[in-house]
Amino acid sequence: MKPLLLARQVSYGPARNPRLIDIDLQLAAGDRLALLGTNGAGKSTLLQLLAGILAPAGGEVRVLGQRLDEAAPALRRHIGFLPQRVPAYTELSVTENLQWAGRLRGLRQRALQTAIERVLQALQLDKVRARLAGSLSQGMLQRLGLAQAVLHEPDILILDEPTAGLDPLQTEQIRELLGTLSANCSLILATHLLDDVQRLCDRVILLDGGRKAAEHTVTADTDLLAHFRRPMSDAGAGA
Amino acid sequence: MIGAIALHESRRLRAGMMFWLLLAFGQLIIAWLSFAQLETFAGIAPQLKASGATLGAMDLVITPTFNSLVLLLLLCAPLLAMGSLAGEVHSGRIALWLSSPVSGTQIVLGKALGLWLATLPLLLSGILTLAALGFAADLDWPRFALAATSLLLFGLWLGCITLFLSSLFDHPAAALAASYGILLFLWLLDSLSGTDAPWYWFALLPHIEPSLSGLLRSQDIVFFVATAGAALLLSSYALARRRGDA
Repeated sequence: MKPLLLARQVSYGPARNPRLIDIDLQLAAGDRLALLGTNGAGKSTLLQLLAGILAPAGGEVRVLGQRLDEAAPALRRHIGFLPQRVPAYTELSVTENLQWAGRLRGLRQRALQTAIERVLQALQLDKVRARLAGSLSQGMLQRLGLAQAVLHEPDILILDEPTAGLDPLQTEQIRELLGTLSANCSLILATHLLDDVQRLCDRVILLDGGRKAAEHTVTADTDLLAHFRRPMSDAGAGA
Repeated sequence: MIGAIALHESRRLRAGMMFWLLLAFGQLIIAWLSFAQLETFAGIAPQLKASGATLGAMDLVITPTFNSLVLLLLLCAPLLAMGSLAGEVHSGRIALWLSSPVSGTQIVLGKALGLWLATLPLLLSGILTLAALGFAADLDWPRFALAATSLLLFGLWLGCITLFLSSLFDHPAAALAASYGILLFLWLLDSLSGTDAPWYWFALLPHIEPSLSGLLRSQDIVFFVATAGAALLLSSYALARRRGDA
C-alpha cells in the first residue's frame, strides 16, 4: 500500500549551510506523527516542505504516490496546513476568512457553505463568526487557523506548534479539538511540548541541526524527555 | 480561480482604511482640478472663439485633468499594492496561498487584476466627472473614449508593475519605497535625458501623453504590453523563488 505522504532524502537550503539534510519519513492513513526538536532544528522548514510551500533542494516529497511540486498544485488539496502564525486577514470577519480559505482550496457555493457551518460548530466559533479576525483572542485565532486547515477535509493535517502562545486552559481545549479533528485524517505536528506529543501522537521524529536524529513510537510509558536529551546518540534506534 | 483571487484582493483592499482615504482624497483632487481647468477654459473660451482656434474643452480641460489623474494614480497605486505580496509574506499569510492548490501564475494574475479593480472606483469617478462636462461643452467623444480607455488600461499596467515590486520584498514599506522610487524615475526619465538616449524608450510620459490626447500609437501599446508582461513573469518567478523552485 502506498503511503499517504512520503519524504525521501529531503534536503533544503544552500549546500554550504543546509537547513535540512536527507530527511526520510513516511505517513500512512491514520498515523499521528510528531516532530520534536530544539529551536532551529528544522521542524518548521520540514513542515513547509511537506505542505508544498517550499520545494526541496534535494530529494522529493510524494503525496499519494505523486510528486508534490509546482507542476501538480492540485495535490495540495489533500493537505491542510496551520503555520505558526495563523494566516488570517485581520480586516475580514471569521466567516469571510473561512470563505476565502475554502475558495482557495477549491470549495464552491453549497459545499463551501456546508463546510463553513461544520467547522464553525466543530471549533466552537459560531458565536464569533461575524467578528473581525483582528479582534479575536489568541485562543480563538488559533481555532480559526485550525478551521482554515480542516475546512476542506484534508487527508493530511500538518500543524506547526498549534498550542504555542496559549494559556493552559486554551492549550487543553486545542488539544481536545485536535484529538477530535484528527480522527479522520493523518496528523503531523511540530511542537516543543512533550505533553502534545504524548497526548496526540503515536510516533515521534527527533530533529537535531537539520538532521533526523531518531524516531520512536510513543506510548503512555515512553520517556520522551530522555529521548529528547540524547537524540543524536539514539539515531536510528527504535523505542 | 484568477477571477476569485481578483475579487478577494479587491475586497481585502476595500476592507481597509487606506482604500477609502485614497478614494476620498482622489475625489477631492479630481473635483478641484476639473473646476480649476474649467474656470481657466471659461475665461479664455470667448477669445479662442474670436480667433478661430480649434482648441476645445478636450484639449484644455479633459487632457490636462487626465494627465493629473495619471500622477494621482502614480501616488495612490503603490499604497494599494504594497501589501499585495510583501504584506502576505510579512503577515505569514503567504503560507495559506502557497499551501493551496493554486499555481503561482494564477496568484499573480489574480492579484494584478484585483489591484486594477481596486483602482477602478477612483478612475471611474474621475472619468465620469469629466464626462459630465459634455452637458455644458462640446466634447470630442471618440477622443474622450480613447483617452478614458487609455487611463483605465494604464491603471492595469500600474497594477502589474507595483505587484512586481511588491513581490521583491518581505515588508510592505520596502515595497512602497521601491515603487515610488521606480515610478518617479520613469516619470522623470524623459526630462533627464534627450530623446535620442537609449533609455528614453522607458520614459513613462512620452508613452502615456499621446493616448491621453486621443492619439493611439503602436509603440506605446508595445511599451505597455511588454513592460506589464515582463512584470507579471518576474512576479511569478519571484513567487517561485520563495518556494525555492527557481
